[in-house]
Amino acid sequence: MKQKPDQADYQTGSTVSGPPTDPEILLEVRDLHTYFHVMDGTVKAVDGVDFSLKRGETLGIVGESGCGKSVTALTIMQLLDIPPGEIVSGEIWFDGRDLLSLPPEEMRHVRGADIAMIFQEPMTSLNPVFTIGDQISEAIILHQHVGKKEAMARAIDSLKAVGINAPERRVKQYPHEMSGGIRQRVMIAMALSCNPKLVIADEPTTALDVTIQAQILELIKKLQVDTGAALLLITHDLAVVAETVQNVAVMYAGRVVEAGPVEDVLLRPQHPYTLGLLNSIPALHKRGRQLDVIKGVVPNPFRMPPGCKFAPRCPYAWDRCSQGEPSLVEIPGRKVLSRCYLHTFEAASRRADFDRAAVATVSGGTR
Amino acid sequence: MVESGGARVVETPEALEELLTAHPDYDVQLESLNQRQLAWRRFKRHRMARLGSSMFLTMVIIGIVGPQLLPFEKNSYVPSNQIVQIGRPPMVVPYFHPFGETTQLQYDVLTLVVNGIGLSLLISVCATFIATCIGTFVGGIAGYFGGWLDTILMRIVDALLAMPLIYLILVASEFIGHGAASWFTVMLIFALIGWLQTARLVRSVMLSLREEDYVDAARVAGVSQMRIIFRHLLPNALSPIIVAATLSIAAFITAEAFVSFVGYGIDPMTPTLGNILNGAQEAINAGNWWWAVFPGAAIVLIVLGINFMGDGLQDALDPRAKI
Repeated sequence: MKQKPDQADYQTGSTVSGPPTDPEILLEVRDLHTYFHVMDGTVKAVDGVDFSLKRGETLGIVGESGCGKSVTALTIMQLLDIPPGEIVSGEIWFDGRDLLSLPPEEMRHVRGADIAMIFQEPMTSLNPVFTIGDQISEAIILHQHVGKKEAMARAIDSLKAVGINAPERRVKQYPHEMSGGIRQRVMIAMALSCNPKLVIADEPTTALDVTIQAQILELIKKLQVDTGAALLLITHDLAVVAETVQNVAVMYAGRVVEAGPVEDVLLRPQHPYTLGLLNSIPALHKRGRQLDVIKGVVPNPFRMPPGCKFAPRCPYAWDRCSQGEPSLVEIPGRKVLSRCYLHTFEAASRRADFDRAAVATVSGGTR
Repeated sequence: MVESGGARVVETPEALEELLTAHPDYDVQLESLNQRQLAWRRFKRHRMARLGSSMFLTMVIIGIVGPQLLPFEKNSYVPSNQIVQIGRPPMVVPYFHPFGETTQLQYDVLTLVVNGIGLSLLISVCATFIATCIGTFVGGIAGYFGGWLDTILMRIVDALLAMPLIYLILVASEFIGHGAASWFTVMLIFALIGWLQTARLVRSVMLSLREEDYVDAARVAGVSQMRIIFRHLLPNALSPIIVAATLSIAAFITAEAFVSFVGYGIDPMTPTLGNILNGAQEAINAGNWWWAVFPGAAIVLIVLGINFMGDGLQDALDPRAKI
């Protein structure tokens, strides 16, 4: 991932362009800016996001509500309503093609065939007037150019693959005849029915109860390994990330603030925001204490703080943080990228405080 | 209990109980009803809907079958050896005319009314069909895409609706048909004016439907926009469209009667309900009440039947209604 100069001006940010040099990279998002022009001004929902994902790998994007993680996914899929949305700049390289410059008709074939998506709300993501079989086979007919019978047979197979009993009977049923867990399985079957290269799962377990959550995550993991598809998992739940993915990117206010292998990020966080998130997880060893929270709220999208977007809530912030925005840089000796001035030479004493807090949080959490 | 695909469908708890007592190890397969079956069940239980639809269906059957059964051609003279200036009241012997007969041309009123019902229904059903198709297409596109397309289409609809439509119909039929239009022309005029309300209705339904998650799911699967509108969203918008279409049949019946009554409609020699009433204007002054009463009653029965039916449909198609 490239480094950005300190000014928050995106136009000077782009230094690399063209397809990724490593053919193993399936998806590379570079300096993506997605804005929404609304009555009161412009919301910079995604403001300089970079990440990449190799074939068959799994990446989690974590962050609070409103940090831009879902908008990132929708931008990749190009499902935004334009206007009010606008993809201001950036590149999304998928399998050697820049999705942002694809004509709509070609993009339509990328969707479903090459990139599939699993949604948060299984209760409302299935059309109530069609049977499950109709809905799964529609995508198959569209992208695999097979007949109705063959498509239905494949739909039955894909339902079998997601562990649904009696799929021959299920394909004839309507969504209202199924529970949330079964519907999410149907959604997964639909997503995987065309053998996509990339599956984007946008909070796939948020609407489900805990036992079903675990089953669905297991299923997604297993199918990801079986089919060799890459997985982009979007969630606010660090526990889900820890269990499911190899790499993780933490987002705050439209930017990636920390990224790296999941065990490094979660066990040795390098950004105060990640540490704050880890701290706020309720845990048994914190019994009897008040829950830790990150003080303050996500900044108003119309009045973003001038420097680091996290500075107003950050216990380690000092003058420099409100003057310029740090860039996403690799931490020496770690495999992690972090967007924080704590890693500069002048912050050595603050960094010692931060490291102590991080060790305390993580060792408490793993006990 | 009915047989369906080899499995027995048990409709009531009592029937299930009975089945299980008779065969203790019977493999019971519960089948849930889909929306259509549920709506049909609610419709059947709706008393006004039953009444209304039987009235309407009776009229349709009369309109289709009646002209075949009646002894008189709709344009033929009554075989009469004497000139009757005023017409005869119903059931006057020796000639059997149960609804009476008319002056001058000496038609049988029953023949006129039966043919009129058929023709008026034909006009309004065809006009409704075309109007609903146009309105659904325009409204669907405007509501789903929104933006400038929506603005343009809906401002056109607003502009047309701002005109007094009934006079627009009069002017159009006078201009095109010169006071003696064929039923087809009048039907087309109705259709071309009647889609406005449907377009508004469908647009408003689409506006809310397009926000549904399954629209995103369909787009993610690579389904084209048009297919999403007309294959994924339209079935979900069908209930209000059906209700509106049903009620618009009634509206077109009255509209046809009005236009023909004031003499701007279909060729006066064609027996539509409006034309018959038009012809009856002078007759009623001469005391020939039967000439106006029977076609008038036919209009009332059709419109009332349709309105009851529309009411019942509205309740039946509302998935939240528990009847």
